[in-house]
Amino acid sequence: MKLLNLKAYKISLVKLSLLTLPLSIISSCSEDFLEAVPETTVSEATAFDTPERILSQVNGLYSTLKSNYVDPDGNILGFLSGRYQIFSDIRAEEFKNQTTNVVTGYDVYQHTNGGDNTYLTNMWTAGYLAINRANTFLAGLEANSDKVSAEIAAQYRGEAKFVRALAYFSLVQFFAKPYTMDNGASPGLPLRLQPESTSANNDLPRSTVAEVYTQIIKDLDEAEAELAADNGSELYNIIRAHKNAAIALKTRVYLAKGDYTKVSTEGNKIVSTTAPFTSPINVTHALEPNIRAVFTAPFTSSESIFSLAVAETNTAGTQNQIGSYYNYAGGAFEYSINAAAPGIYANPQWRAVDKRKTDLTATNPGGDVYLTKYSGQTPFTDYVPIIRYAEVLLNLAEAEARVGSQTRARALLEAVHHRSDPDYSFGTLNQSELISAILTERRIELLGEGFRSNDILRLNQPIQSIGAGTSINPTDPRYTFPIPVDEVNNNPGIQ
Amino acid sequence: MRKILLLSLFLLSALLNEAMAQNRTITGRVTDATNNEGLPGVTVLIKGTQIGTATDAIGNYSISVPAEANTLVFSFIGYTTTERAIGNSSTINVTIGADAQQLSEVVVTGYGTQLRSEFTGSVSSVAGESIQNRPVQSFDQALTGRAAGVNIVQPNGLLNNPPVIRIRGVNSISLSSFPLVVVDGIPISTEQDVSVNTAAVNNPLGDINPADIETIDILKDAASTSIYGSRAANGVLVITTKRGKAGRTKVTYDGWAGVNKAVRLPELLDAQQYIDHKNRALANALALNPNAVNASQRDAQGRGFFPNYNADGSMVNTNWYDEVYRTAFSHNHSLTMSGGTEKTTFYFSGGYSDQEGFLVNNSFERRSGRFNIAHDVTNWLKLSANLNYNNTINNTPPSGSNPGSAFTSGGLGRLAIAQAPNLAPYTADGEINVQPGTPYIGRGNNLVPITWYNPVAVRDLDRNRAENNRLISNLVAQVKLLEGLNFKSAYSWDRGNSENVTFWNPISGDGWGFNGFADNNTFRRNNWNWINTLQYQKTLLEKHNFNLLVGTDVQKTRLEYWGAQRQNLTDPFFTNFQGSFGINLAGDNGIGQRAYESYLGSVSYNFDGKYFISGNFRRDGNSALSPENRWGSFGGTSVGWTVTEENFFKTSSLSNLLSTLRFKASWGRVGNGNLPSDYGSYTTFEADIYGEEAGLGFNQAGNRDLRWETSTQTNVGFDLGFLANRITLEANYYHNNIDNLILYAPQAPSKGIPNNRILTNVGSMYNKGFEFAINATPFNNDGFSWSTNLNFTTNKNEVTALTNDGSPIIGTTGSLENTSITAVGYPVGSIYAVKTAGVNPQNGRRIFINAKGEQVQYLHQGGTQAWTYLDGTVAPRVSGADAQIVGNALPKWYGGFNNNLRYNNFDLNFLFTFSGGNYIYNGTQAGLRDQRHWNNSVEVLDAWSESGEEAEIPRPVYGDNVSNGSAFANDSNVQKGDFLRLQTATLGYTLPTTLFGKTGINSLRIYTQVNNGFIITKYTGVDPEISTNGNENTTPGVERNSIPQGRAITFGLSLGF
Repeated sequence: MKLLNLKAYKISLVKLSLLTLPLSIISSCSEDFLEAVPETTVSEATAFDTPERILSQVNGLYSTLKSNYVDPDGNILGFLSGRYQIFSDIRAEEFKNQTTNVVTGYDVYQHTNGGDNTYLTNMWTAGYLAINRANTFLAGLEANSDKVSAEIAAQYRGEAKFVRALAYFSLVQFFAKPYTMDNGASPGLPLRLQPESTSANNDLPRSTVAEVYTQIIKDLDEAEAELAADNGSELYNIIRAHKNAAIALKTRVYLAKGDYTKVSTEGNKIVSTTAPFTSPINVTHALEPNIRAVFTAPFTSSESIFSLAVAETNTAGTQNQIGSYYNYAGGAFEYSINAAAPGIYANPQWRAVDKRKTDLTATNPGGDVYLTKYSGQTPFTDYVPIIRYAEVLLNLAEAEARVGSQTRARALLEAVHHRSDPDYSFGTLNQSELISAILTERRIELLGEGFRSNDILRLNQPIQSIGAGTSINPTDPRYTFPIPVDEVNNNPGIQ
Repeated sequence: MRKILLLSLFLLSALLNEAMAQNRTITGRVTDATNNEGLPGVTVLIKGTQIGTATDAIGNYSISVPAEANTLVFSFIGYTTTERAIGNSSTINVTIGADAQQLSEVVVTGYGTQLRSEFTGSVSSVAGESIQNRPVQSFDQALTGRAAGVNIVQPNGLLNNPPVIRIRGVNSISLSSFPLVVVDGIPISTEQDVSVNTAAVNNPLGDINPADIETIDILKDAASTSIYGSRAANGVLVITTKRGKAGRTKVTYDGWAGVNKAVRLPELLDAQQYIDHKNRALANALALNPNAVNASQRDAQGRGFFPNYNADGSMVNTNWYDEVYRTAFSHNHSLTMSGGTEKTTFYFSGGYSDQEGFLVNNSFERRSGRFNIAHDVTNWLKLSANLNYNNTINNTPPSGSNPGSAFTSGGLGRLAIAQAPNLAPYTADGEINVQPGTPYIGRGNNLVPITWYNPVAVRDLDRNRAENNRLISNLVAQVKLLEGLNFKSAYSWDRGNSENVTFWNPISGDGWGFNGFADNNTFRRNNWNWINTLQYQKTLLEKHNFNLLVGTDVQKTRLEYWGAQRQNLTDPFFTNFQGSFGINLAGDNGIGQRAYESYLGSVSYNFDGKYFISGNFRRDGNSALSPENRWGSFGGTSVGWTVTEENFFKTSSLSNLLSTLRFKASWGRVGNGNLPSDYGSYTTFEADIYGEEAGLGFNQAGNRDLRWETSTQTNVGFDLGFLANRITLEANYYHNNIDNLILYAPQAPSKGIPNNRILTNVGSMYNKGFEFAINATPFNNDGFSWSTNLNFTTNKNEVTALTNDGSPIIGTTGSLENTSITAVGYPVGSIYAVKTAGVNPQNGRRIFINAKGEQVQYLHQGGTQAWTYLDGTVAPRVSGADAQIVGNALPKWYGGFNNNLRYNNFDLNFLFTFSGGNYIYNGTQAGLRDQRHWNNSVEVLDAWSESGEEAEIPRPVYGDNVSNGSAFANDSNVQKGDFLRLQTATLGYTLPTTLFGKTGINSLRIYTQVNNGFIITKYTGVDPEISTNGNENTTPGVERNSIPQGRAITFGLSLGF
């Protein structure tokens, strides 16, 4: 007797064997079937694993300042790549809007922008992204201090603090009342110094303006100590921070704070006592004989203390880059220079023979004057000048004029002016005339570099807005930019 | 009201027919409603008996009827069962399967099928014929108004634009609310991630030829959908493609051709009106601020706009609509062959669709082929295979009409309304008119620069193309293990390749800034799915019916894409990516992978067809959730009671009138794992480049706690059928509570979290409402029949919790304008704008209401007086920061009213759709009233001009982009969205069969159809169903610069052999 009636079971066996096929494959579905890990981004666990990756993060901090950061809608958030500087310059009397385009600042120009303005919000977001990336980097570097030498680690720390200070300083100029108005007693910015990567800690009140300045100066003092004296190459001495960059930025910060003595202290570290003015320590800085060269490739003039590097692969998007706004030929010609008073173009201190007029401005067929400081040619790869030696000289000149040697102040002023217009005579100047001439010189020399609104505000002057058709007084709510609505909505402590 | 009257008439006539008939023979013919062809093999039964017959090869039957019989029942698999009163007739001709909305026999529930009479969940079914032969690109576009609970909106008239589908409301905030689409068993990819270029939309559902669809079953409640567990929170569209039937091989050809034209375009200023109006505004501005425009932009009299003249001396007066829109021609063909033997059936189809959009140079072309075959290998093994290959090519110039591109300067929808009418598209030499040194149109005699691109350059020289090649295939084996015990294994493969091509010219348009721009990329999606199920069906003691199912389902989708961007043409000769460029950059590159692993079970039991209970369970794993939380359990249960099957009912007198009465209820919990990111739980760093240096930066804050979003759904309802179900009513109440909403929780921007957001489970909301579907066949006589369907749905959506501190989510249109808000206590995506209080009759200024509720008027160029209270004292600036919630954007009610009429050989179908209770932000109107150099609608001619005048539009001041809403959204552009639309109407004629003789032709029907026939609405924008932001949950109900909708008229024929 057979144990099994094979014939009767044959069909069932065939069927069962068919069944086992999928079942066996499914059970072989290994545990990691559901494991899907990012293949084109680096995980937080390994982001500090090698010295190269740590260096990449340092570079990443600079590109964040520039902000090549693309938001989920595909927009590049503009920060110091140009939009910040442009928004500072178009609020007052120097430029005239040509295209009535809100995307390129028409409402900032007219002072109709509110806390909902997309581009100011983006700027706030990009500035704080730079800050959080710096905080994240500092914490990550601390936890991985064995990956690089102590010397390198210190340098990187200094760079991160420099980036953080520059970001805070830029934001506090726009979104808070000037320090000089009430010695920094006004609400400043939420002061974030810890890395953030979770949903916690949305709630953080604004620190006072003074507290923000204190942090900026602390960061820059530490950065000065930690940064390299020399980054080892002409290029890295411009596109990455070094000791002189931190010192130079301090002259700007103290000037905004109205602490002229400190401006002198810091300025004197990197400006020789007498002309020709050069930096006696660390990287050698001096005025470039021909100002046009400062704004011409390869952008590695000794006058440039800190610039943001740009290449074809990392331009900031058409409507965020400084190169496209002002130029008529090849640029988008969003803003022309206001050739009439009270615009600086009509100021007698800026003569027609001045190189800054002949080489850095032009007139289009329609008769509009425009700025050619930046290349108007696609792909707009001009390095973005952030700190140059001419500014340091003018910062120091103003401080000297106010609280130091007027002779030295005048020498500094003339160094800057005579480079471009050697035959100009300032005549005799009393102290207030000297200060006024220096302030006028800033408008000429730094036109289109983002200084105008910040200078008006630190001096508590009214903004003579062409766009709004009126003077905007320091008491006017339009005088500074409102805190973005996005921050107000998500940070209960902000009010 | 009229409908009720007609129904009463019908009831009366039915009662009159209640006379007793003699024993006799009845003959007749049963025909297929789609083509009037005779149907062989239809079962004809005398109701309540086993006496019956079947129709012959050409659909004729003859049956001997006893005296007491009063009803014949006609039934055929796949067709509607139809009952007919016998009355005194000796001939009863019946057309079956006529109405998609009539309850069909079988519900396809995804993993199986169930008799509709035993199904206690909530489902709407749409027959394939009601959506085919429509001038659309994808089947989903034709579903509007067809099914209760399903709201479908076509975002605008751009071809192949995916519609917005919402089943019982918006069911998520940050995740997709698009339903799961299952074709012949496989969940197919529907995300539009295969198209990243901003101009050519790419609807993955356009890869299915609507002509191949047999039925669409829309599963709506948890009891029906929970078998899909985490995939089902937005409902499920289960699509079954056509199959062959044993018997004669049938060949059909369907073809249509037609025209399509833009409708409801706003009326714009002509050249003279434009010049006059702008100069008037300019004078007003200069009076306030002599610097309002540059000296170079005006003459001594302060004028900036001047006429231009053609060579023949006539004034240039360009209607830009003529350059951007056209009467488009489209044609569509499909050929099918189906048939088979008892053991093998097949269905083969080929389709070709060539459609033009009314937007010039917008086109859609599809070539499709499908082959379905089923074969009984043995009496226990059945194999079937479906193979579908499609090629679609979608071309469009930049239209500004796909999500995110509302403010694209090169969008033709916007250029057509904003471009100055006193400028010519071409110069006297026939060149494209461009202002030298700019990307803009030549300004001619205007002194003010006109900063809009020349539309003809964008139209003719910019190109976007999306081409998809897609194979959707599956292989199914069914093994009958024992009587009632079946094993089924289905392997499916959905393989798509997309190629996206973008070229922007260097002359005028977005490509100018790049001196020519090209961006090509290719996407490859590999999606496979393997389902194994074991099903046991058993009836015990005749009355206990069991149905058990267990199964596994695994799916993996991998997307790889890569591309390059090229800029700076070396020679304007080149007009494509392959030309020579100075700059070559990486384009869109990425890899994504998603896997699902699921175990499912389902049990249903009914006692004698009276009492029903069923349950579903599914355990799902999803790779997109954090490893610790990626498994979730879901399930649902339902009960039903069919009162009319009860003996006490059958014997009651009510049974003559009431043929079906069934109560049902369901409850269940499903998940939503349609995460917007494959890797949301990971914290990552992204590479970039700084100058020439390698860079790296923190780019995503992940969330290791990311877990399932769950929907708890309750459904109660009843089905009623009167008079042998000639009138049926299905009513449901639904309530869907969504918890652990996966939100892109907004973070305080000062935290510097990349994107200011983290995917987090916070928040809850609900959708609730009623659904009604009435089907009736008021007349069904030999010569005349009328069947009708009315469906009506209400929906209330409310967000009940968001992040811990309740921060609202602001929705942005086109990355520029805050238009919407999602806040606790309000529906998702409510309209968010600054309130206004009209125009001050004294001075013609817009009165805004600030956040404090104060009235503040605005004077553009007013300097210190720009913002004042009505008493003239200076007020703080009003901005978008003062916005408030002004209305819900989601319709509170919607539905469709569908009618099929037949008179002898004529047939008429018309479908009305309606919706309302919602508000629309008409942002396009803000642009049409903008006082910059933009052209305006003729409404501005009625702007305020003198003291005391009550005007809708403020006094025009040149450059004013605040008063009418461009600078920030205000509620003068918010309007109600109620409408009634004639969605489609078709008039057909079936030629008498006698005409064909022995040609072999079996049937021929010709028809004409209008789509979007008319619309009745108080909404003044181009269309109340517009959705500029496409499928985005948080920004519905916004119209901003999109191209309008079209009206299409087509002629077609259906030929059967």
